[in-house]
Amino acid sequence: MPAVTPLEAEYRDWLVTRLSGYLRRPENDINVCIPFSEYGMDSVAALSLFGDIEDAFGLYLEPTVAWDYPTIEALARFLVRAGSDGAL
Amino acid sequence: MLSRLNDTPCSGDPAEGPHGAGTTHGQAGATPDHGGVGLDAGERQIRERVAAFEELLGDPHEAGNPFGNAALLEADERGELSVEAERALAAFRLNDEFVPRELGGNLDRIDGLARVLRPLFRRDASLGLGYGVTSFLAAIAVWAAGDEAQRGRTADLLRGGGRLAIAYHELAHGNDFVRNEFSARPDGSGGYLLDGRKDVINNAGRAEGLVLFCLTAPPGQRGPRSHSVLLVDTAGLPEDAWRVTDRYRTVGVRGCQVAGFSFERCRVPADALVGRQGGGVETALRSFQITRSVVPGMVLGGADTALRTVVRFATSRELYRRSVLDIPHAQATVASAFTDLLVCDSICLAATRAVHLLPEQTSVYAAAVKYLVPKLLQDACYNLSIVLGANFYVRDGDYGVFQKHVRDLPMVSLGHAGSAACQATIIPQLPRLARRSWTQGTPAPEALFRTGGGLPALDTDRLVLAAEDDALVASLLAAADRLEGPREAGAELAPVRALVRALVAELTRVREECLALGPHDRTAMASPHAYALADRYTLLLAGSACVNVWLAQRQDGGDFLADPRWVVAALTRVCRHLGLPLPEEADEHSEWMLAEVLGRYHEGRSFDLYDTHLAGPLVDDEPAAARH
Amino acid sequence: MVTTPRRTAPAGLDWPLPHPSWELGARLDRELGDPADDAGVHSYQESIRLDEGEEFPAEQLAALDLWGLAEYYVPAQYGGRLTDYQDLSQLIRMLARRDLTVAIAHGKTFLGAAPVFLSGDHAAARRLARLVRRGARVSLGLTERTHGSDILAGELTAENHGDGLRLNGEKWLINNATRGRLLSLLTRTSPTGGPRGFSLVLVDKDELPEGTYRHLPKLRTLGIRGADISGVVLQDAPVGADAVVGGVGGGAELVLRTLQVTRTLCPALSLGAADHALRLAVGFAQERELYGRMLAELPLTRHTLAGAYADLLLCEALNTVAVRSIHALTSELGVTAAVAKYLVPSVVDEIVADLGGLLGARSFLADHYAHGRYQKLARDHRIVGIFDGNTMVNLYSLVVQFRALARSFLAPADHRPRLASLFDLDRRLPEFDPGQLVLVSRYGSSIMGTLPAAVRELRAEAVGRPALARAAALAEELDRTARELHERIATCTSTVGDAAPASFEDARRYSLCFAGAAALGLWLHSHQAAECGPTGELWRDGLWLEAVLDRVLRRQALGGPARLSAPAAGGATETDLSERLEARLIEQYQRGSLFSLLPCPVAEGPVSC
Repeated sequence: MPAVTPLEAEYRDWLVTRLSGYLRRPENDINVCIPFSEYGMDSVAALSLFGDIEDAFGLYLEPTVAWDYPTIEALARFLVRAGSDGAL
Repeated sequence: MLSRLNDTPCSGDPAEGPHGAGTTHGQAGATPDHGGVGLDAGERQIRERVAAFEELLGDPHEAGNPFGNAALLEADERGELSVEAERALAAFRLNDEFVPRELGGNLDRIDGLARVLRPLFRRDASLGLGYGVTSFLAAIAVWAAGDEAQRGRTADLLRGGGRLAIAYHELAHGNDFVRNEFSARPDGSGGYLLDGRKDVINNAGRAEGLVLFCLTAPPGQRGPRSHSVLLVDTAGLPEDAWRVTDRYRTVGVRGCQVAGFSFERCRVPADALVGRQGGGVETALRSFQITRSVVPGMVLGGADTALRTVVRFATSRELYRRSVLDIPHAQATVASAFTDLLVCDSICLAATRAVHLLPEQTSVYAAAVKYLVPKLLQDACYNLSIVLGANFYVRDGDYGVFQKHVRDLPMVSLGHAGSAACQATIIPQLPRLARRSWTQGTPAPEALFRTGGGLPALDTDRLVLAAEDDALVASLLAAADRLEGPREAGAELAPVRALVRALVAELTRVREECLALGPHDRTAMASPHAYALADRYTLLLAGSACVNVWLAQRQDGGDFLADPRWVVAALTRVCRHLGLPLPEEADEHSEWMLAEVLGRYHEGRSFDLYDTHLAGPLVDDEPAAARH
Repeated sequence: MVTTPRRTAPAGLDWPLPHPSWELGARLDRELGDPADDAGVHSYQESIRLDEGEEFPAEQLAALDLWGLAEYYVPAQYGGRLTDYQDLSQLIRMLARRDLTVAIAHGKTFLGAAPVFLSGDHAAARRLARLVRRGARVSLGLTERTHGSDILAGELTAENHGDGLRLNGEKWLINNATRGRLLSLLTRTSPTGGPRGFSLVLVDKDELPEGTYRHLPKLRTLGIRGADISGVVLQDAPVGADAVVGGVGGGAELVLRTLQVTRTLCPALSLGAADHALRLAVGFAQERELYGRMLAELPLTRHTLAGAYADLLLCEALNTVAVRSIHALTSELGVTAAVAKYLVPSVVDEIVADLGGLLGARSFLADHYAHGRYQKLARDHRIVGIFDGNTMVNLYSLVVQFRALARSFLAPADHRPRLASLFDLDRRLPEFDPGQLVLVSRYGSSIMGTLPAAVRELRAEAVGRPALARAAALAEELDRTARELHERIATCTSTVGDAAPASFEDARRYSLCFAGAAALGLWLHSHQAAECGPTGELWRDGLWLEAVLDRVLRRQALGGPARLSAPAAGGATETDLSERLEARLIEQYQRGSLFSLLPCPVAEGPVSC
């Protein structure tokens, strides 16, 4: 597994915190490699994530971003790229 | 004229107080199969009869059972009552429930009648109405106003498995039955000549006896004394002078054989007259007080099954990777429906026992319960149908019974008294009750709110057309006082206190608005506002019934009905239905109520105040569909 | 390309023509013949007969094919006549007011074909368009026996096989599964499923080898008894690679985007049913005598009828704006469709229950009064709240958007779509671009966003026109309610996927506020022209707006269905409003008009008195 950059770690931490809040689970209960759906976040609910991310980081994302990157690990890595590209 | 169903108190004595023979409260809820130790004879009989009936009805999920869902759905599809089921009801001597004890039957308590019939309505309203209750609705006029011979004849007919049909209404006049055109003119030799038609009559084509509401005054002299009730033996009617008209097909209770009559110069003997000539309206209105009080308590059974069906669905189906019942919205809907059933049963309990304990006040309560209960049950079923989703729409299969009850409920509720007729009974009485009774009335005896226990004999002569007092409202105020006083000072009761306070505040507003009602509001020209006041008033009665049922159970403690949580949930629902801002302490206790629902569902116990045992095996959760 | 050009009249002089879509609906209705004429194919009596026998309305559907209804399902770019979704909505509404079974059985083809037409796969769309225009029925297969509305739990699989795919599995509770020639099926293309694990496959049963599919028996249903609600089982059914529409893995997204459009059209079914119910109730009240008076004279009856009419207009206003927003506010359709699909059928269920109380026994008799039409429509209509996304699904889809909705309402981003054409009935709508459909609205709801400014505008108008004072006061109350609601949902949205019951209640309230905002926008932008038209009385002095806002706020106040305690203590103003509204209702009834904000004759013609 490639090393996690500081920015990627920031995204990961932020996502873990959000997820733990939404799902009412302790943060250390959330595994970054497990798909959101396994935590009971259904596909409709997952769509709402993009707005939170946009809001927090000023990124312009597709609403389906959490469908295409369905784990915290994948999503954080994508956000790093999205940030460097400006927008997607 | 004999008007008492029984000359001696039928069981126990409510005046004996909380520790007398009639004190079975609390236990009724906690231990349904409590062998009846310490129960008075009447209460024990009711419980035994309910248990025996439920056993007869058997497992609703058993394929070959004539009282099972599959058989009843098929009969409904065919628009028939199952012959086998009717035969079983006859063998059970169900008709005995409708005949006063002194005439050889089982009838002595109106609350008991509702309880005994409830298991049948849990299965099928068509059988409930079509086999039995229709005969009772007819017979009550004979019990109330008939002479010895008529009472004897009617008792023999019913006890022999026969049927009575009741014809108050004509479709053209609906609930405005005083305008009925169906006439019975004196034939000059003491008898009557019948002319006209009666529509939408249950069992019209197969009843051996008819109770007919007829115009007996000459044309042009129509008034409150212009109608009479006749009891007619169909076998004795001249064949060419009457006929049964075509059957009506209905969307609900499809098994019921609803048709009409047409009479043309049909001679009936003098002894057909029940009570006085010209006394028909009064007899009808008195009879309605009993029938309106008792029918909602039976109909409740249908909503029990609707709720049970949804729980069955929700515990066995998976949606979004969890059981449907893990979805908070479904949980809340199920819990709320159960709470509404308890609210309904509380007011049913008070109304049926009021017939014995407060007969002078029954006119209002009977109308209120007949109006409110079906409405609450229908709304609850609407919400439950959302949980069932598409399965609600399928007429057969595992959940098909739900849509049958949804179709049946409004039909049995409409019956002989639509909402408007009930409201029209209540509205004209509101200003008077508000002025005379709502600040200084006498509270009801505690026995009114007990889930069991003896009652004084029914005395139909004491049923009057307008109430002078309003003990249920007084009991609400008394409950409020008690909760504010030192006896119930516990902090854990703060939510009950706050909710009762909210209801009392609403009562004050309703009272002011009732006092301001104008004269036109006493008639059919009443404003929509007057109807809304009647709505709010009936909900306040329901609130009073709930809090007082709970208070009556509290002495014993320990069981479900003594727990303040159910009453907090119930009063919260009542406040919601009233559209009141909820006090901060309000709580539907969804989780706790849901746990109770699931406990009763798995153990096979009824969703009402009585928590009785139901037939059939214990329910194991069907495994939810394999997880992905 | 723009939609059908509208003639515009000089302001304040002349309402140009009846609205072309309403006029189109009226033409269909007229050409189907007077439904009260028992001899007609499209008569009420025939509908009842078919329902009794649970017979499929084949003859009715064939007649509609001949009329060319299917042309309106096919976008103009693929050769059909669908340019303006208002046309389709009005056509469905007019069909539904006669018979929901027929409307649903025929309209189902649109639901089945829409994913293909909206997918951007032009080749597939052109192929399907040809078939639809020639009368082929298309069915939409989303649901399965054990998964209900949870479509991403589906188990029907499509696996690669040679050049194409092989389908295996079952779809159940599918409208026209047996009679439809084509099926749009949501299939699992990845064993693990997930939002990218499904694909939409268009299957032509005529091209499947024998033995690779069979039908499941028609289900007996509570309502629309004649409809073909059945299922289909596929066994190694081969389809070509080009049967996949919207890309492998794109099925869920395509379906959800399509549902935004179809959910916006479903409420037309409810509007038709409400018209039918109200027409029966008014007719009954006018001929029925009770307590020595005509039922229609009793204050409670008048109040009930006026209330039902106001509710119907509320639904129509919301639905009109929602349908126009398919064109004019496409990117927010996810919010708009959920509101409309939830609220309109629910309110119409209430209308049907309330008016049923008025009809009493007649609402239950299967053949006695008016052929038993009432009991049929009451049963039939319950399907509208269930299919194509039920109440729970729609409310939930709002709940998960709460954060975004609150954010954009309380602190609007600097993005202001131009909404004038949305609200102004006289303005051309832009061409619908399916590419703008997104699963979640990025900027919340702009329709809701117009509320504060609209309230200010109405208040300003009311300054010189006292007749508008109450409407303006109600609007201000709505504005306060909406603000409180948004503040609440902004802070209590921390649970996703496990939404608390209270949030469903908030979603219900949100929908009501939304409907109020839509009504307000519609009135403000369209009243000047509409006041000069045949329904001008309804628009003048903000009559319908006041009534609709009143109903919205009444429902806000109550915890649930407004039936209990609905008529609150009202002063003279409320009675006056109810009476003025009832006068319009009776007028539309007697003139033989659709109960509508806009003129539209019905085929029965005027009621002779």
